[in-house]
Amino acid sequence: MGIFDAISIAGSGITVYRKWMDAISDNISNVNTVTRTSQNAFQARYVEAQAVGYGSGEGGVQVAGIRLGDPRGQLRYDPSNPLADKDGNVRAPDIDLGSQMTQLIMAQRGYQANLSVVDRAKAAYEAAIGIGK
Amino acid sequence: MTIMPIGAALAAAHVAPVTGVTPAGVTHEAQAAAGTGFASLLSGGIEHLTTLQKTSDNLAVQAATGDLKDVHDYTIAAASASTALELTVAVRNKAVEAFNDIMRMQI
Repeated sequence: MGIFDAISIAGSGITVYRKWMDAISDNISNVNTVTRTSQNAFQARYVEAQAVGYGSGEGGVQVAGIRLGDPRGQLRYDPSNPLADKDGNVRAPDIDLGSQMTQLIMAQRGYQANLSVVDRAKAAYEAAIGIGK
Repeated sequence: MTIMPIGAALAAAHVAPVTGVTPAGVTHEAQAAAGTGFASLLSGGIEHLTTLQKTSDNLAVQAATGDLKDVHDYTIAAASASTALELTVAVRNKAVEAFNDIMRMQI
């Protein structure tokens, strides 16, 4: 933390949104990953954000941790799948593609907003440096 | 034309060097405070600039070697370093300008 705090704080936001996009990317890429019914399904990743030193004046955001989705997933009837059990079921992850796409848009917009803060803050600092030129 | 030291120039011009003059109304405390204040401010600023540039350089190396995790880490470090450089140059220019103004003062 130094004299260009606004830039580094926005940077922490960009990092969090990048990790959120990584998690969504992982979830979407595994949306059709099925397992045997005797195994755990793929667990969706959810990013938990947390303010850095809330109220201390430090500012910024960080990833507090990754929460995982339901390991039971959902049973899907797919008898032609080689992983299907004797009833013809496989275990699919409990991921809603629509919800993931919505979150992806939110993460993208958040990322862009923080990039915008970096640009504006830099322009503002440069304007302050230019006083009296 | 040869350039001679100022003492020799004064001797050649038969001018006695001025001695024993103390500035009126300036206390030693004020001089000390002004001297260390600006100097420490400037050196502190340059140190900060050096740190930022080192960070930016390290991240540039990481980008080249593929170790960079976040693209914005490098671009933000580079932006901070360039802004800090602008600030340092602005302070330097102001200081030089003030010095020149004083040097041009009619006595």
